[in-house]
Amino acid sequence: MSRRVVTVERYAAKRPWGHFAALLVVAVLVIGSFWAVEWDFSTFTDPAKAERALERASGLVEAFSSPDFSDDWLERCWELTKETLSAAVMATFLAVIFAYLLAMGAAKSVSVGVEPVSGWRGRLLRLPQHLFCSACRWTLDVLRAVPDFAWAVILVAVLGLGPVTGAVALALNITGILGKVYSEFWDSVDPKGYEQIRALGGGRLKTFLYGIRPLASRSVQSFTLMRAECAIRNAAVIGAVGGGGLGAEIMYQIGMGKWGKVTTLMLYTLGLTLGADLVSNFIRRQLRSDPNHPRAVRARSTFANLSRAYIGVAFAMCVVLWSVWFMGWGNSAGPDGKARNYLEPLAKLGDAKERKKIAFFEDLLKPDFDLESIGYGDPAKRKIHEQMGTTVKFSDEYEWWDFWRPSAWVSWEKSLQNWFVWRVVKSAAVPLAMAIIGTLLGVLAAMALSYPHSLAFQLESQQFTGESPHPAVRVLRVIQMALARGIGLVSRGVPEVMWAFLFIAFFGPGLLAGSIAIALHTLGVLVRVFSESVDNIPYRRFEQAYRGSRMSCFAYTAGPISWKDWMTYSFFQFESNVRMGVVLGIVGVGGLGFFFTFNFEWFRFEKAGTHLLVIILLTVVIDRISRGLKLSRVS
Amino acid sequence: MKRVGWLMIALAGIFSFAACGGGNNTAGGNTTGSGGGNGKAPDKIIITAIPDENSDAFKDHFKTIAKYIEGKVGIPCEYMHVENYAAAVTALANGQAHMSWMGGVTTVQADQQTKGEAVVVACRDTDKKFVTYFIANKDAGVGEVKDLKELAGLSSNLSFTFGSKGSTSGHLMPRHFFTTQSGKKPEEAFKSVAYSGSHDKTMQQVADGTHQIGALNYAVYERLKKEKPELAEKAPIIYKTPSYVDYCFVARKDLGDELIGKVRAALLELDPATEEGKKILGYWKAGKMVEADMSEWAGIKAVMESGVDIGG
Repeated sequence: MSRRVVTVERYAAKRPWGHFAALLVVAVLVIGSFWAVEWDFSTFTDPAKAERALERASGLVEAFSSPDFSDDWLERCWELTKETLSAAVMATFLAVIFAYLLAMGAAKSVSVGVEPVSGWRGRLLRLPQHLFCSACRWTLDVLRAVPDFAWAVILVAVLGLGPVTGAVALALNITGILGKVYSEFWDSVDPKGYEQIRALGGGRLKTFLYGIRPLASRSVQSFTLMRAECAIRNAAVIGAVGGGGLGAEIMYQIGMGKWGKVTTLMLYTLGLTLGADLVSNFIRRQLRSDPNHPRAVRARSTFANLSRAYIGVAFAMCVVLWSVWFMGWGNSAGPDGKARNYLEPLAKLGDAKERKKIAFFEDLLKPDFDLESIGYGDPAKRKIHEQMGTTVKFSDEYEWWDFWRPSAWVSWEKSLQNWFVWRVVKSAAVPLAMAIIGTLLGVLAAMALSYPHSLAFQLESQQFTGESPHPAVRVLRVIQMALARGIGLVSRGVPEVMWAFLFIAFFGPGLLAGSIAIALHTLGVLVRVFSESVDNIPYRRFEQAYRGSRMSCFAYTAGPISWKDWMTYSFFQFESNVRMGVVLGIVGVGGLGFFFTFNFEWFRFEKAGTHLLVIILLTVVIDRISRGLKLSRVS
Repeated sequence: MKRVGWLMIALAGIFSFAACGGGNNTAGGNTTGSGGGNGKAPDKIIITAIPDENSDAFKDHFKTIAKYIEGKVGIPCEYMHVENYAAAVTALANGQAHMSWMGGVTTVQADQQTKGEAVVVACRDTDKKFVTYFIANKDAGVGEVKDLKELAGLSSNLSFTFGSKGSTSGHLMPRHFFTTQSGKKPEEAFKSVAYSGSHDKTMQQVADGTHQIGALNYAVYERLKKEKPELAEKAPIIYKTPSYVDYCFVARKDLGDELIGKVRAALLELDPATEEGKKILGYWKAGKMVEADMSEWAGIKAVMESGVDIGG
C-alpha cells in the first residue's frame, strides 16, 4: 500500500504543472497584448489595402534587386562602414574598462568578501562595503535599463551628431550589461577555488586578482566577445537617432525613397555583421582551452601557448588605437570629404561652458509625477486641474463596492487617464505587446526552421536512421539546409531597427510592423541556438527513438530533449525584445519610447524624465522576474 | 583587505568630488555667461538652422547665407548643420551657435531656453502670413475639403503624417487647426499618426503612398512642385490653413547690439535683383527680408502653452 502511494506521489510530482502554468501565462499575455493596445490588421482584411500592400511588397522586391553600385557610392558606404566599426570598437573598449571597475564593486565576493562576520560590530563595519556594493549594482541597473537609443537621444544634445555620440551611448548601455554579467560570473566562482589565497593572508584585491579573476576569465572573455558582436549590430543602426555611421545614411535614404542606395547600405551592414560573426567565431576557437574538444586548437609549445595571449591583446589594442585615430583624424565620411575630428566634443566636455549643457538636462532628474491631478502637491495647480475637470476621481459614478461591475472598472480607468503617470505606464503596453507577439512568432518560426537548419537531421541523419539516401536526396537536403541557414543568417544579420524601417516604409507604421521586425530578428537569433542545442544531442538518443520519419523524430525526441534550453534562450530573447520594443518606439513605432523622445524634443524634460523612469522600471522588473525564475545567464 | 578598503573609499571620494565639482561649476557658469563673451564681438559667427528639409540643397542654401553675411559684416561666418530641431535650440541656448534660423515653435523654445537672452534678427516677408498645406495621396480618394472637420469626418481609416515633431508648420499649427476645427485629436481621427521628420519627406511619403494624408509647409511644397512636378501631381493639396507667423533668424543677445544690427542690415538688404539675393530669396520663395520682434511670436507661444496633447 505504502509503495503504491509513493509511486503515485512520484508521478504526481512529475506531472507537468509548470508547463500548464506556462501555457496559461503565455495565453493570458497574448490575449492581454491584443486587448491592451489597438492592432491594425486592415492590411490583411481589407482587399483594397491588401492589394496596395502587395503592390508595395513587389515594389520592394523590385527596388532591392537593383542596388546602386556606382564607385562613389561604394566608397562612401565603405567609409560609413569604417565609421560604424570604429564606433562599435570604441564603445566596447570604454565599456569593458568601466564595466570591470563597476563590476568589482557590484560583485559581493570582491567588494565585501566571503568571510562570515559575527556580532553587531562586525556587521556594522561591513555596512559601508554592502552599501558600496548596492550602489554599484544600482548604477549598473540604470545604465543597462536605459536603452542605447535613449542614451543617444539624450547625448545628441550634449555631444552633437556623429559617431562619438553613438559610441558613448552604446558604451553606457554595454557597461551596464557587461558589469552585471561580470559581477555575476565572479560571484558564481566557487569560494573553495580561491580559499588558499585568503588562507595565506591575501586581501580582497589579491583574492580577486589571483583567485577570482583567473577562474572566471574564460566566461568573461566569451561574453565580452558576444557583446562586441552586438555592439557592431547596434552601431549600424544607432545613426537613426543621431549616432552617425551606416544607420544615419540608411534612415536618410529610406526617407527619400532611394531604394537602390538603401540596398547597397544594407549589403554593407550585412557584410559587417557577418564579418563580425566570423571573426568572433575564429577568436572563440582560439580561446578554447579544453584540449579534449575535438576541434580545439592544440598549442605546440609553451612559447606558442603564451604568445597567443600577447598576440590577442596586441591585436585588440591595435584595433582600439585604429578606432581612436579614425574617429579623431582619419574619418572622411563627411559630405565635404575632409577628415573631421569627431573626438572634439568629447575633449571639450572638460571645460565649464560645455558642462552647462549637462545642467540643461537637470530637469530630466526631476520627473513629473503630476501629483496635482491626484489631489496632492501645489494647491494652485490643483485648482486648475479641478476647473478643467482633469482630476482623478474614483467615487463619481461608482463606489468601491461596485468593484464587481466591469463598467465600474472602465469608468475608474477612464478617470485614472487624467493622471499623467498612469498614461505613461499604459504606454508601456506598446513595447510589451510588441515584444510578446514578436517573441512568440519568432520562437514558433525558429522551432519550425531549426529542423531544416539542423546539421544532425539534414546531413548526418544516416548516422542514426540507418538509411542510405540517394545522392539526389542528399543534394536536396543540402539545398534545404543552405536555404534555412541563409534565412537565419540574413534575418539575424540585419538589425531589428532596420527591419522595422523597411516594414514601416512599406506597410505603414504601427505595432504590426514592429512585431514582425522583432519576430524576424528573433527567428534569426534563435534558430541558430535552437539547432545548435539539437546538434549537441548524442545521436544514440535518436537511434533509440527513430521510427522511420526524421521529422517525427525531431518533433518527439529532439524537441523535448532540448526544450529546456530552448525556453531559456527564448526568455532571454524576450527580455531583450522588450528593450527593443522601447527602441522601436523611439524610431517611430509608438508607445513609451516615442513619447520619451517626443517630450525630450519639446524640452519637457520633467515629462521625459517620467518616461525614462518607467523605461528603467520596465527593464528592472523583467530582470528581477527572470532572476526569480532562476533563468540567470550564468549557468 | 585594508588596502582594498582604502581604494574603495578613495574611489567613492573621487566620484562624489567629481559630482560636487560638476554642480558647482554649472552654477557658476550661469553667472559668468557664455557664448561669444560679454558684449565683446566674437571672432567668428556660427549660424545654424532647424533642418526642416533633408537635402543637400538645404545645406548649400545656408552656406550661401553664411558667405553672404561674412562678406557684408566682415567677420568669418560659418554654417553648422544639426540633425534635429531640438539640437538647434540647444546649440543656441548653450552658445555653440550665435544665430539660428528657427521655426515658430523653436523661436519660442529658444526664447525660453535662453531665458530671454534671444532676439529676433529678421524674418521673410512670407513668414508673417505663413500657411500649412494638407495634402493627400491621389489614390486615397480624398478630394478637397472645406474645413478640417470634414476631413476628420471621412478619414477614420487613413494614415496621416506630420513633419518633424518640433516643427511649427509641419506639426504644431496643423495639429492646432485640426483640433480646434474638428474637436478631435488627429490620433483619434486617423488610423495612425506618424512624424516623417521633415517637410520634403512628408511630401515624398504621401506621394508614394506610405501615408495617405500629410501636412507640410507651403513654401517647401511650392518649391518641390516646381522641381519635381510628378510628386505634386501624386500628392494634391486638399486644404490650406489660416495664416500664422513662422520662421525667423534668432540671435543670442550677447552677440552685441552692434553686430546684431549689422547682420540685420545685411539681411534686410537682400535684393532679388542681385545674384546672391536671387539665389537666397529664390530658395526661400520670399520677396525680401523684413524686421520682426519676439513679441510677434506670442500667438505661437499661447498655442504651445495650451498644450500639445499627443496622448502620452
